[in-house]
Amino acid sequence: MTDSADRFTHALSVDIGGTFTDFSLLELSTGRVLVNKVLTDPENPDVALIAGASELLDDEGVDFDRLRMVVHSTTLATNSIIERKGAKTALLTTEGFRDILQMGREQIYDIYDLKAQYPPPLVPRYLRRGVAERVDRDGNVVSQLDMDAAMETMGELFEEEVEGVAVSLLHSYKNPEHEQRLKTAIAERFPGVALSLSSEVAPVINEYERTSTTVADCYIKPAVSGYLASLTGSLAEEGYEGRLLVMHSAGGVIGSDAAAERPVRMLESGPAAGALAAKYYGELLSQPDLVSLDMGGTTAKTCVIEDGRPTVSSRIEVARVHRFKAGSGLPIVIPVVELIEIGSGGGSIAWTDSLGLLKVGPQSAGARPGPACYGQGGEEPTVTDANLVLGYLNPDYFLGGRMKLDVDAARRAVAGLGDALDISEEEAAWGIYSVVTENMASSARLHVIGRNKDPRNYSVVAFGGAGPAHACEVARKMGARRVISPLAAGVTSALGCLTAPLSFEDVRSLPSSLDGADWSSVNDVYRDMEAQALRLLAQAGTQGDGVMLTRSADMRLSGQIHEINVPIPDGDLGAAQLERIRADFHDIYEELYSRRNLNIPIEVQNWRLLATGPEPMVRLSRRDVDENADAGAALKGARSAYFLGLGFIECPVYDRYRLAPGARLTGPAIVEEQESTAVLGPQDRAEVDEWFNLVFEVGAVASA
Amino acid sequence: MREFDPVSLEIIWSRLLNVTEEMWTTILRTAVSTIIASANDFGCEIMDAEGRSIAHAYRSMPVFNMTMPNVTKEILKKYPADTLKPGDVFLTNDPWLCAGHLPDIAVVTPIFFQGRFVGFAGNIANTSDIGGSLDAKNVRDSYEEGIFFPICKLYDDGEPNELVFDMFRWNVRAPDMVLTDIEAQVAANEVGIRRVVALLDEYRLEDLSALSQAIRGRSESAMRRAISGLRDGEYYNEVYTDGVGTPLKIAVKVTVRGDEMVVDYAGSSPQVDWGGINCTLIYSTGHTLYPMACLLAPEVPVNEGCFQPITTIAPEGSIINCTFPISVGSRVNTGWYIHGAIFGALAQALPGDIQSGNGLMSSLHTYGFDGDGKVFNAHLFCGGGRGATSMGDGMGPNMFPSSASNVPVEVFELNSPALVRAKEFVTDSAGAGLHRGSPGQRVVMRKAPGHAGNLNIYFHPHRMLFPAQGIFGGADGRRTRVVLNGTALSDDPEKMTQGYVGLESESDELVVEFPSGGGIYDPGDRNRELVERDVRDGLVSPEAASRIYGAD
Repeated sequence: MTDSADRFTHALSVDIGGTFTDFSLLELSTGRVLVNKVLTDPENPDVALIAGASELLDDEGVDFDRLRMVVHSTTLATNSIIERKGAKTALLTTEGFRDILQMGREQIYDIYDLKAQYPPPLVPRYLRRGVAERVDRDGNVVSQLDMDAAMETMGELFEEEVEGVAVSLLHSYKNPEHEQRLKTAIAERFPGVALSLSSEVAPVINEYERTSTTVADCYIKPAVSGYLASLTGSLAEEGYEGRLLVMHSAGGVIGSDAAAERPVRMLESGPAAGALAAKYYGELLSQPDLVSLDMGGTTAKTCVIEDGRPTVSSRIEVARVHRFKAGSGLPIVIPVVELIEIGSGGGSIAWTDSLGLLKVGPQSAGARPGPACYGQGGEEPTVTDANLVLGYLNPDYFLGGRMKLDVDAARRAVAGLGDALDISEEEAAWGIYSVVTENMASSARLHVIGRNKDPRNYSVVAFGGAGPAHACEVARKMGARRVISPLAAGVTSALGCLTAPLSFEDVRSLPSSLDGADWSSVNDVYRDMEAQALRLLAQAGTQGDGVMLTRSADMRLSGQIHEINVPIPDGDLGAAQLERIRADFHDIYEELYSRRNLNIPIEVQNWRLLATGPEPMVRLSRRDVDENADAGAALKGARSAYFLGLGFIECPVYDRYRLAPGARLTGPAIVEEQESTAVLGPQDRAEVDEWFNLVFEVGAVASA
Repeated sequence: MREFDPVSLEIIWSRLLNVTEEMWTTILRTAVSTIIASANDFGCEIMDAEGRSIAHAYRSMPVFNMTMPNVTKEILKKYPADTLKPGDVFLTNDPWLCAGHLPDIAVVTPIFFQGRFVGFAGNIANTSDIGGSLDAKNVRDSYEEGIFFPICKLYDDGEPNELVFDMFRWNVRAPDMVLTDIEAQVAANEVGIRRVVALLDEYRLEDLSALSQAIRGRSESAMRRAISGLRDGEYYNEVYTDGVGTPLKIAVKVTVRGDEMVVDYAGSSPQVDWGGINCTLIYSTGHTLYPMACLLAPEVPVNEGCFQPITTIAPEGSIINCTFPISVGSRVNTGWYIHGAIFGALAQALPGDIQSGNGLMSSLHTYGFDGDGKVFNAHLFCGGGRGATSMGDGMGPNMFPSSASNVPVEVFELNSPALVRAKEFVTDSAGAGLHRGSPGQRVVMRKAPGHAGNLNIYFHPHRMLFPAQGIFGGADGRRTRVVLNGTALSDDPEKMTQGYVGLESESDELVVEFPSGGGIYDPGDRNRELVERDVRDGLVSPEAASRIYGAD
């Protein structure tokens, strides 16, 4: 940030989820973090936000004008697509192509499921209209835009009371002129209608994905821009003087005006914060290669962080018909932190499949009825029930004792599963624990080895309510050797928000062979993208010097569909840089696939620009490590807990809040804090570091 | 031999499935031909030491999953287990052993663990060129269809077999592309081997045999249970295909006895001595087992155990079991109709599970020389309408029965001097029913402005004569319609048997309406709101709504 005035004492982050709105208030000088949690009000999210923030600030005795920044992330954008509560949206396409939005890629996402369905498109067919025009592959106009006919069509759509119009014409990534002319004409004749152009929202080749992204942008735009405007106003009324910053999908923040302009960039921004927090802890502990493991009630989300950077993908799918089946959702092409989500949470239900095998998830008991041990009528065995049966959870200290767990109910549910599988209650409980940790380990391992990296060099950062109880086993199964469990794992994501730099990534398709690249167009594109990115970052408060511009390109061997991202030099590009770019491509290709291929020409698909502001300074509370710190001081008791090879044994239980930096633990052991419980297996050891993180050294490999 | 409990088997089995997934991703990312990288026309599998399949990649091309173990068993016959060495890699495209036509190349690599041979990693991929005639519809025998590699070693003890590489270099049209794809296939097996070895090591298994037995055993039991749920008896159906010039019949009789099934194609048309529309028995078997897996045990990860209870037989010399050296290149024009035949046959046995007829995937293939003398060679894959099921309208159009995706129009045009003027649903095309089929799509194509030469389009339509069948009172889907400059070529299918259309001037226009899916149950019972929705969306005309659906 550009200011350094002392009167700014705090930073606030707010994450609006489907159920809860989480607040965290960071005292800048000490690194102390205060948290608050209120129920989300889907009708008036900003009112609930101001109320919850005021409570927290009152507790701390500071006013809104002391806040250096307010960072916001929300699932409202994603939810309005999932729940189909967005604006009534129309779509204009090149005549003859209005059904591309519904045809998609025409691919079967489950080859054995004859009854599978595709998600319905966000714009029904009667609101999708063609306009007479055509541009060819080189961007030349083949048929002129018939503006009169287009405006007549718009008039008809307007009579249907559409609130937004998405425009996606063929080859518009190459020549946006027709889209631009439609924008001008529509804005003039139909003021107030939300507009999204494919050449602005996602100027990349592939008409289906580009159209899908543009439609999603338009679909959520009225609600998101209205909400952000109202929230900005409310914050100003409370005395906040800064800009409202909004978390975006690629793991940075951007000004709220830019977010309102292109709301599709906010999709799935909430979960990205967790990955940023993991990256932050990795930096603290000098661990650049990490896997973040955020295990909650319904799902587990993992993200691979390589060399200090969360992996970013160029597309996501939202609103899947089958949540965990790729291809069953709506593709959105935006830069997005690559989170792998699987149906493994505390509430995931264990069951027996038709082959007589023990499966866990993806069905979840959710919060209601919840796991059997919640005593709310749930009867099916869940991961939480298994953890209770295994002795990992303390029935009297769940959520710090705010909720009593019913051990008998958990045992009944787990024993029932054991009967169905013809195994004992404890085998069933350990089975659930094994399967759910394997599911998480596999998905993380696939992504690490998919990048041709060795999992042994990775550390796992565990958070979310259920993360620390499973992290050592997950690490063991994926082959990682270290686990970091931050203090107050429940607010880790909120901290991630506060560490996010201002950033914006832009992309343009100019498909060609690398040798045949039209460098003058490429240079134009970079000039354009750089000006735009600098303008957006300036709007959000970062000027010139503090901004880092990083170029890259999506390249591949001719004929491939999967691209690899290759760094591109700064400055004017031309034939002189060709050798270096080519060599970089081959090196990265070889690193990924252990092969070099010099026979097939290289193609460039997209040119990318990432503009990043300085990372906000966030200091956590720390205390020097005391070599003589004694874990015994934090011992709060012992209980019977199950470990493979040992069976049920008396296992010491420690109070996380009394473990001082330097304290060492040897497994088996259990460490309790309010929001979560950490479990050390017999071979695991742990030490508390200067920031009160529990850092585990994971012991020998277990087998199933 | 080690026993597996329901927890460890679940874990190790999932791990094995992930191994095949990784193999699949390796090919997807490193192959360079449209047909493999973009259309995903390949499959990957792990097999035990006897060549029996135990896991395949989830998105594999379905029929390859069924034929892969057959090739592997044939390899073992030619190269017995005790002769295998680490570093051996086998290759064949024998249509009678592998996948029914020469472009499908199997690459199979033995897995060694602690010095012992324990199984195979293998894959089959559809190469972009295998030599031979480009005029696929006029070939008279297999020799004209390209180069035939009997089972051979691509690598022997780690050393490349230069003869095989040279045969590719001198016999296929784009050898760099073809060899890069084969390299991707070899690499996928290497990945599979590394992961299987790590898995055996981690779970302290000596080899794959106990695991294979447990996986196949459980799957076989699940399949037998499902078959036992069917009423014993004989279920018969016959369907017709356009053939080349003369319609062909596929007759199928499914006999269910207890927990076993025999699928017999007696009565199907004799093989046809030209045009490549004959199926080898292994290919037909693949297309028999695939719909059975969909119908009987869609939740079981497919492996060899699933198919023990099912026997496929067909008269030798028929279009279902053709004999060498008959031509087989366009065997999908027969083989893809087997599913519909089976769904129809089992309609009485599994009324809630079957699917009405499918429109099937087609391709408009352009090939020729660009203005600057460069070859262009591009496919516009177009899905057919999917049939309806008891649960809902047919999804799509899509690429069933392949797991391919389409090629974006923008990408197709980038690779071909064509101008696509439309790609849209066809009104009133969907087979009507309480649940209707998916509509068909219309593609309109012209030559790109400025392209001097002809635009040559190779196209072998499905369903010009015989539409996708409706079931239980649902209407049939719509047939393919091909119109060149206003003349309906499809009215006289003889005109399309050449499989070629040339666009000479910029005003020449080819319109293809691809087949739609069949409906299920009486259209008069369709939910009124859905009928109104379809009318509002222009998928059903008001006239058809009242005539077919009885809307007011």
